[in-house]
Amino acid sequence: MPENELVEGLGLDEYKYDFETEHKPVFRAEPGLNERVVRQISEHKGEPEWMLNFRLKALEIYESKPMPDWGGDLSTLQETLDEIYFYVRPQDKMEHSWDDVPDNIKDTFEKLGIPEAEQKILAGVGAQYESEMVYHSLRKEWEDKGVIFDSIEDGLKNHPELFKEYFGTVVPSADNKFSAMNSAVWSGGSFVYIPKDVHLDTPLQAYFRVNQERMGQFERTLIIVDEGANAHYIEGCTAPVYSTDSFHSGVIEIIVKKNARFRYTTIQNWSNNMYNLVTQRAIVHEGAHMEWLDGNLGSKLTMKYPSCFLVGEGAHGDILSIAYAGDGQHQDTGGKVVHAAPHTTSSIVSKSISKGTGRSSYRGLAKVYDGATGAKSNVECDALLINETSRTDTFPYIEVGEKTANIGHEATVSKVGDEQLFYLMSRGMSEEEAMALIVRGFIEPIAKELPLEYAVELNRLIELEMEGSVG
Amino acid sequence: MTTATAMPESAQIEGVTDAINRDAVVALAGSEPQWLQERRVQAWEAYEATPMPTTRLEEWRYTDLSEKLKLDSFRLSEGPGPDVGDGRYPARVQQAMDEDWDASGHLVEIDGSVVHTDLTEELGRQGVILMSLREAVTKHPDLLEKYLATEAIPASEGKFQALNAALWTDGIFLYVPADVKLELPVRVTRWISEAGRAHFSRTLIVAERHSQVSYVDEILSPDLDTQSLAHDAVEVISQDGAQVQYVALQRMGKGAFYMSAQRTLAQRDCTLDTLNVSMGGSVTRVDLNARLLGTGSNSDMLGLYFGDSDQHFDHNTSQDHVSAHANSDLLYKGALDDESRSVFRGIIRVSPGAQQTDAYQTNRNLLLSDTAHADSLPNLEIEADDVKCSHGATVGQLDKESLFYLMSRGLSREQAERLVVMGFLGEVLSRLPLSGVSEKVTRVIEKKLAHI
Repeated sequence: MPENELVEGLGLDEYKYDFETEHKPVFRAEPGLNERVVRQISEHKGEPEWMLNFRLKALEIYESKPMPDWGGDLSTLQETLDEIYFYVRPQDKMEHSWDDVPDNIKDTFEKLGIPEAEQKILAGVGAQYESEMVYHSLRKEWEDKGVIFDSIEDGLKNHPELFKEYFGTVVPSADNKFSAMNSAVWSGGSFVYIPKDVHLDTPLQAYFRVNQERMGQFERTLIIVDEGANAHYIEGCTAPVYSTDSFHSGVIEIIVKKNARFRYTTIQNWSNNMYNLVTQRAIVHEGAHMEWLDGNLGSKLTMKYPSCFLVGEGAHGDILSIAYAGDGQHQDTGGKVVHAAPHTTSSIVSKSISKGTGRSSYRGLAKVYDGATGAKSNVECDALLINETSRTDTFPYIEVGEKTANIGHEATVSKVGDEQLFYLMSRGMSEEEAMALIVRGFIEPIAKELPLEYAVELNRLIELEMEGSVG
Repeated sequence: MTTATAMPESAQIEGVTDAINRDAVVALAGSEPQWLQERRVQAWEAYEATPMPTTRLEEWRYTDLSEKLKLDSFRLSEGPGPDVGDGRYPARVQQAMDEDWDASGHLVEIDGSVVHTDLTEELGRQGVILMSLREAVTKHPDLLEKYLATEAIPASEGKFQALNAALWTDGIFLYVPADVKLELPVRVTRWISEAGRAHFSRTLIVAERHSQVSYVDEILSPDLDTQSLAHDAVEVISQDGAQVQYVALQRMGKGAFYMSAQRTLAQRDCTLDTLNVSMGGSVTRVDLNARLLGTGSNSDMLGLYFGDSDQHFDHNTSQDHVSAHANSDLLYKGALDDESRSVFRGIIRVSPGAQQTDAYQTNRNLLLSDTAHADSLPNLEIEADDVKCSHGATVGQLDKESLFYLMSRGLSREQAERLVVMGFLGEVLSRLPLSGVSEKVTRVIEKKLAHI
């Protein structure tokens, strides 16, 4: 999409993914969550018995856990959950060529620029529409090297042993209320296996789209990066704006084996009526390297704390988190690092911007177990406040039981400085340009890590959002 | 209703039943004015209506009272025996006091009853009041009715705040009239000797406009073979332009559970600084809430702890910026040896409209042993945009390069370690240069370091 067209189409604070497509699903479960719905999901997917039992047990756990009383405002969530559709099957099979995807669904992804990006810069693409993956494809060269990039359902069908060995081991159903919910009703998501010593030089991308009103999306992703392998996975999320709230709760499980490297990038730009409660966790083995790059720009409320469990000697975890909370939004995000082996190192860098009545909260954990000698962790949080009504919080937890560990946390909160603005304006910039420049400079350390098209889009978003924010 | 009677001659606490119950509250209230009787009974009701805090609450996440506090097993303090009185003190109390002669006044509280007060004549003439809280109930009822457990720590604040308001046996009242400046600190020495008892004491400090005062509280006890609780509620109220320093020095023995609820209220242009030094006791829990109520107010909040054996420290602080143009700066540092554990939880809250706030918060921990443990939770809640706030927390070990340097200069490893720890903790003391305090705390730390 040419830039001028994009900008024209956008007013201040306008959400550009607000379009809906006419599409009649082939199946839709009744609204709300109950055992019947869980059984229907399992039946539609033709699952083995053990998976149905896994789901039913998770439903029990979900029902036994209280709604969290921390984080964001979940007081009206139950009402939303009673009304949303937990399972909507858009079509009966998944395609491996865009030509076979029904036109109205394809149209959606074309508007989002997915097929174009696939041709240019990606090793593989998955696209989820409502509850199911509608498209999945991987370049042949990688397929030939044994890389698996498939929908989670096909992972279960085609690689049952690998699947069963790891599924639910990184994020157990009982981890939290929403991981239990996801375990009961999961549908869609990716199954990824990178064989030993395979280095993917371009990213894999999954795109999640919620189209229907009052929809709940529960993707489940399992990624196994074998010894010495190297890969990058990107997920993007959007939905149209409806007057009722929608709900998204994913579970992402990642295993990074010895000396492997993996990066997981999320750019979440859900519409402002979406609850986004996600559990993302990686187990990082000896000498391996895990990076979370977590961008939270959309949603009504996001509660998401990507984590690294460093279980092998010399494992390293990086979490880069950027949050933007505009009017009415609450981004409750951060990261967790758990050091359970010697000489493990980690770093969390979080940058947040709160504008209008937006609220961004950093919530994080740095934990060092006794015996994790020489563990090092550094946490840095910076928050920028744009308006008088903006709000920011920082809630770090530091737990250290190891003498030789070195753990540090620092946070600052500031507003855009008058001196900075004055300097830039004295050089001929308008106040808005100056503000946008300062904000871009603030998020630069994270934006520069993003794939190019996301970085460009983030910068554009900041520019647009800053219009009229001064004074 | 009974009417107020004169104070009993003996320091012995009258009519107290054994256990923590309503009868004890009624007995304590027996000879008191009606407003206080009512306050005690209401506080008891608040206590009964409030559930015991559990680790499910954020503020109690790392201190499990069901395991650490045997509240049901306590009997209430009986007060000091007949052999303790004016001029006759336990040796350690005497020792502590001997170092404190440089003072505007003294007060000694033994097992929950004040047994001695003195104040220079000049200050007495200027209207300064330093006396036992029980005595103040009859002598200064207006001031007490206005300030005691009202603005600063009402019973509604929490389970233990309510229990204290219901069952306090005595405490300290310090009143400094407008424009009066005390050059030397007021020094309070408190002693707990009874094992298996709960002691509830209150401190009320009122500094009127443009007055100036430093207050040093030292609490001591021997090692106790069964657990005792020393619970303090400390209310510091400083009016416009006053300058107040409050220092709490806790050097209790093993078996002591020291719990201190402190709140400071700083009005316009006040300087209200605090220092909490936690050295002794088996379990220490300090809840300090600094409220910056007036523009231009300023609070420095300092803390120091040194744990060994299985000591458990839990410092829970909050900096409430209610008004614009106020500053607060918190620095808590601690060293942890053996199997000791420290919890620091601090929060800076900036209310909407509290613009031009400068608020800082730092917690640094040194782990000296493989089995020591430190948890740090420095929090921020910011609802104004034109602020400067930052916080930092670290947990680490002794700096190897510093040790190496000192050892290369001929110091033994032990000497070098002690010096580095002393330097680390000394930063806190240097921020509050109050005569006598630094020296005393330094000696206590040195004694602890001698065991490393």
